Amino acid sequence: MNTAATKQELERILDQALQDVTERTAGVRLHQGNQPLGEDLCTVHITFDKGFGTSLTLCADTSLLARMARNSFHEEAVTPEDVEEFSKEYFNVLCGKIVGAMFQATQVPAHFGAPVFYHGRYEPEGQEAQFILTYADEQREGAQLIHHVPSAHDEDVPRARPDKGV
Amino acid sequence: MSKRVMLVDDSRLVRVQMEDVLKGTDYEIAVHCRSGEEAIERYAEVAPDLVTMDIIMGGMDGMDAAEIILKKNPDARIVMVSSLAYDDTFERAKAIGAKGFVDKPFHQEQLLKAFEEALA
Repeated sequence: MNTAATKQELERILDQALQDVTERTAGVRLHQGNQPLGEDLCTVHITFDKGFGTSLTLCADTSLLARMARNSFHEEAVTPEDVEEFSKEYFNVLCGKIVGAMFQATQVPAHFGAPVFYHGRYEPEGQEAQFILTYADEQREGAQLIHHVPSAHDEDVPRARPDKGV
Repeated sequence: MSKRVMLVDDSRLVRVQMEDVLKGTDYEIAVHCRSGEEAIERYAEVAPDLVTMDIIMGGMDGMDAAEIILKKNPDARIVMVSSLAYDDTFERAKAIGAKGFVDKPFHQEQLLKAFEEALA
């Protein structure tokens, strides 16, 4: 995404989209907080506008993603493959919602690639976190939505304006 | 008699959500195609009352698939269902002859309204 949105505006759009899509897709209410994540984590990653170098990751407790997958697929038990499939589809819808909201706010269209799933915490190479939104639900399972921009020290990657969003 | 819907989407999540939303309504999923190519190939055989078409799928883009189906079957009723709810995608959907656009994640009310309008 390459937009004129401020960091605050981008944070608001991401927060609203995440809460809305999570509740509507998986019936889970997430609220912002400072609770640390557990040790068993999964990450889904999407890159915006190839070449610009910004990306978004969702790093979450595997148990939270598994519960969301069970709710969404109406299954009593899910396999690791189900969790991966759900996580990618959920994040795809979430990012579509974010891009749509960004377009409404800035009139700048953005596009993103296919979501990639990782076991554990994944941090994209050559990028650094611009901001992190931390969430938990009533069962004290959590997730972090992280917006990455090109690292300031990486001269091969175009730099983002420090006060602007993706 | 239920209206038969051809669901074109590579997402299992969307299939489950669509089944939930259409439960107890006048619509049923007649077939679930996981690509635009499959939808084009099976459209004549299935002869659905309505098609719901995702845009970004593995393989052919849903807009291209909808355009091809509509060229061969000008009476086809296609509703685009996508999270890519921009003005330019709305305009392209309208230009190729799609009958509606519903953004994901969808509510029952908005989906049924779009279906009714597409079939009117």
